[in-house]
Amino acid sequence: MEIIPGITISLSMIVSFMVKISMVLFLILSLIMVRQESLMDRVVNLPIGKSLKILTWGYFLFSLFVTVIVLLS
Amino acid sequence: MPEVFKAENVKGESEEIKKLLRESFSRSSFGSCVPRPHRFRFESQQDDETVLVLGRRHLVTNLGWIAMLCFASVIPFVWGEFPFLQALDGNTLISFSMLWYMGLIFFGIQSFLMWFYNVYIITNERLVDVDFVGLLSKTVNVAQISRIEDVNYTQKGILASFFNYGDVIIQTASEQRTPDTAGEMSAFTFEAVAFPDKVAGIISQLTEEAEKPWK
Repeated sequence: MEIIPGITISLSMIVSFMVKISMVLFLILSLIMVRQESLMDRVVNLPIGKSLKILTWGYFLFSLFVTVIVLLS
Repeated sequence: MPEVFKAENVKGESEEIKKLLRESFSRSSFGSCVPRPHRFRFESQQDDETVLVLGRRHLVTNLGWIAMLCFASVIPFVWGEFPFLQALDGNTLISFSMLWYMGLIFFGIQSFLMWFYNVYIITNERLVDVDFVGLLSKTVNVAQISRIEDVNYTQKGILASFFNYGDVIIQTASEQRTPDTAGEMSAFTFEAVAFPDKVAGIISQLTEEAEKPWK
């Protein structure tokens, strides 16, 4: 599909753009999850809370890593 | 200075409560009904307050989202069957798969956190029901033991009967409706708790003891 002369917009380009946007959204959500976990841990303080904090931070770093790779590719 | 008056710990556990707590509850941190949880505190806990039972929904209630997660995690292996995805180039398909798994992990962690931190707490002085809904909302209901009027429990369905879990419904003197109670019988509905009979028994016993002026 050629909307702008000289530039062909393919289905892959549209999907790729949407994937990148969604990944950034997940990155923001994962940061909210880290914050929410620490608030939950403050309300209900369980010994395992520290491990869950590491899990949520791990997920955030993982999604940051994946998002950066996908955005740069 | 001589001690003129020293208050006795009138909120100490009675023999009946000790006996009820000794019965077959789970001792694990992931347990659905943990008596006297080790190294546990909650936000508004007072210094002289003892946590008798920490509970959450039964482990079996997680089967739904775990099954969905397992099913969804194998879908990328059959991407080729979807005509829309066949039209995408290799790199986009890999990015799409990465997004899919990121979403699944997010959903899994989120569901686990919601299960793990939505707890009910029975102390020697009050009941606390902590409800987190989604990422950005929480409701904490607190009721003094002395204000409890009625305790009953229901068990519905095959799974509930088989794994012995059910809803414990507690009616308090002030029946104020909180946002999370839509559709619930009371602000204090402990949903899908393990050993609902024992939990109801402990609350009834505590209420009975609170009504006695002196032991």
